[in-house]
Amino acid sequence: MTHPTGQQITRDLVRPLLLTTWRFYVMIALFGAFVVAGLVAWLSQVYFGFGLSGINWPVFWGFYITNFVFWIGISHAGTLISAILRLVNAGWRRPVTRCAEAITTFALLIGAMFPLIHIGRPWLAFWLIPYPSERLIWPNFRSPLVWDFFAINTYLTGSLLFLLLPMIPDFAVVRDSTTGIRQKIYRVLALGWRGTPKQWHRLESAMQIMAIAIIPVAVSVHTIVSFDFSMAPVPMWQTTIFGPYFVAGAIFSGIAGLIIAMAVLRRLLHLEDYLRPLHFENLGKLMLVMALLWGYFVFNERLVTYYGNGPHEMAVFWRTQRLSFAPLYWTMVVCNFVLPLILLGIRRFRTITGCVIASFGVVIGMWLERYLIIVPSLGAKYLPYSHGTYTPELVEVTITVATFAAMCLLYMLFAKVVPIISIWELKAGEHPSPALIPPATEKHQLGDLHL
Amino acid sequence: MKAVYGLYTDGASAQQAVNRLRAAGVVDADITIISGQPMEDQEFGHRDKATWMWWLACLGGLIGMSVGFGLAWITEMSWPMNVGGLPTFAWWPNLIIIFELTMLGSILATVATLVVSALLPGKGGALYDPAVTVEGKILVGVENPSDDAVPELERSLGAPAGALVKMQ
Amino acid sequence: MPQWGMAVDLDRCTGCGGCVVACHAENNISTVGDEQAAVGRAKHWLRIERYWEGDFPDVRLKFRPVMCQQCDNAPCEPVCPTYASHHTDDGLNAQVYNRCIGTRYCANACPYNARFFDFFNPSWDKPLQLQLNPDVSLREVGVMEKCTFCVQRIRAAGTQAKAEERDVADGEIQPACVQSCGARALVFGDLENPSSEVSRLSRSPRGSKLLEDTGAQPSVTYLSRLTQV
Repeated sequence: MTHPTGQQITRDLVRPLLLTTWRFYVMIALFGAFVVAGLVAWLSQVYFGFGLSGINWPVFWGFYITNFVFWIGISHAGTLISAILRLVNAGWRRPVTRCAEAITTFALLIGAMFPLIHIGRPWLAFWLIPYPSERLIWPNFRSPLVWDFFAINTYLTGSLLFLLLPMIPDFAVVRDSTTGIRQKIYRVLALGWRGTPKQWHRLESAMQIMAIAIIPVAVSVHTIVSFDFSMAPVPMWQTTIFGPYFVAGAIFSGIAGLIIAMAVLRRLLHLEDYLRPLHFENLGKLMLVMALLWGYFVFNERLVTYYGNGPHEMAVFWRTQRLSFAPLYWTMVVCNFVLPLILLGIRRFRTITGCVIASFGVVIGMWLERYLIIVPSLGAKYLPYSHGTYTPELVEVTITVATFAAMCLLYMLFAKVVPIISIWELKAGEHPSPALIPPATEKHQLGDLHL
Repeated sequence: MKAVYGLYTDGASAQQAVNRLRAAGVVDADITIISGQPMEDQEFGHRDKATWMWWLACLGGLIGMSVGFGLAWITEMSWPMNVGGLPTFAWWPNLIIIFELTMLGSILATVATLVVSALLPGKGGALYDPAVTVEGKILVGVENPSDDAVPELERSLGAPAGALVKMQ
Repeated sequence: MPQWGMAVDLDRCTGCGGCVVACHAENNISTVGDEQAAVGRAKHWLRIERYWEGDFPDVRLKFRPVMCQQCDNAPCEPVCPTYASHHTDDGLNAQVYNRCIGTRYCANACPYNARFFDFFNPSWDKPLQLQLNPDVSLREVGVMEKCTFCVQRIRAAGTQAKAEERDVADGEIQPACVQSCGARALVFGDLENPSSEVSRLSRSPRGSKLLEDTGAQPSVTYLSRLTQV
């Protein structure tokens, strides 16, 4: 196995931008069709009334909020991989950072759409923005939904810039490698980048500051998403563990999303030399740690409820543990804990295939987790007379599927216009130039830095 | 614009060229270096390292914090609303708003500093060769040299092995 | 400033449902039809909860009218991002329909599930649209609504009393449910006034608050049932 260097890197990574096969258009059309279907579903919900969904009294939140929490959770991939690994200067992060940052940005865009889809009068959603209106009415800063608004906007701005800044030198690479209209477009995007030592230093300082700033913001974002639940006096919602529990779950599902995206990119864009088994193994180990952490939080949450034995809590507890939600609950436990432990804990299974299977399990399991936090609690809130249940309707299922298609669509388009692996960071990682490195075993090279 | 520059395949020869230009009496500010990646392992890669960016990021954070506090204080106090018995200006919830705007302030200040200090075109800044990105070369050159100095510069730039000297 | 409250004597309640009908008529609450009601979208601002106690044949039927409890420490209020749900000086949980964007967060936060969502625009079978109350606004699709203690009657009585330069007398204000209760199980009035009937009943040893341990401090007192039937 050889490590690509210098011009080879540029050629390999700019190639997907220049060569487009018919398969690309077919897939764009396919995903695009799903997105259009989702849009139609949403518009019909706005036009005919919110009653098209399966929301009812007393389960006022359902699929939409599940998706909201799920996608905001997926968006935590970029922060962990990119920001933390950047700060600790882990060499193996280099081919992975941009894939992860792109997931963050797109997942956030999708997640931030869900409050709009979910609210009853989406045409008035701008009332969440603090602007001086003629009626002198401002948003209520004591509402967790307004915290959400601020946290998600800060995180989205930060992640977008965090993604864009290291793209500037790569736009310059594409600018120099293309001709005609493409060159003109990338010339604008490259913002006059040349590559003087001053520019490199400023860029690296900016990336460091951004990495430091974005980690607490990411933690705050999912903590605040958890506050949406823990601030309401609902059985099994009002608990202090929700903050860290949600953050851990978010990073957990984020890594899973990243592994799946990397496996697809590796196959479709022929990046076998860049996204190596090592990266999957390292991410797999991180995911294993998060699986254990997730199990730890769930155990804590359940044990404290069980031991407290409050009647309202126990109604919800048994609903998920043994009664109507039990099949989903135990599927979640298998997907989120048993499966990752086996596939990622045993070295023989920790291959690319193993990691991808575990990741699919975690994505499904984490989606179920959010559903199981929301619906059983709302359906069994205090007065038994007002207990109820929830079945999703077509419009909700369509929109949910459409957002997964939207993620694929955005990601494919992104990989078509931007080198999906940061060229300059990859090159910077090969110092000193490979010719000077003494002969070493493959394993040693992989472990040290090189890529 | 007129410029003399050399293209080098590796950092060591580029460093040699920089050293020879200095020996020929060119001051650092007049030497343009362009590379396709950060060159941390060469001396010239450490030029222009000093930056106010960290302090400006802190300043941006302070501004963001004040905006967050001001926004929450002014809007809540100008029309007090009683919700659930919370104080009109409730510190714990409002700290979240203040925190988010602090972070937003420092992020925006960082990016603004980057754009102003490194991306906006300054003096000179026109010397460039696509070989830097396409072929992975390192460019060392002098912009707008006086005509008498050109032969001397070409000699200095051409000295390292594998150098390719060009005029623009 | 009065603090409005209610007392519900469970000993007197026969579960006839007259208050529920009166509430619908007074407050322009649209009926949603049997299909929608079956999936849990009926909007009963006031509902009669029925509970059976004991095993057959020793079964006891219990009724409990539940409306918005107008909590002092209302969990629904701070969670609203637009102040659509807030507290008034006279102790009511106001719901400003025009300010509501329909996040439904208040409904989740309410321990009593006393809040309802408009899943569709309201409609009435002809000629029922002619009986709408002009004092109460209609709610469009996508907003939350709930019991207001018939705030339109409270405000009208207050205006009348002010015009006549006197205080509102005890029993002068009757929400629709109180007015229509044949058994006089519901009593409405000012809790600040120690001599009003409602504050006398609220101090009764039979009195308790619903779900008191959630800390919401509701303004409705339930007087427990003593009669053995």
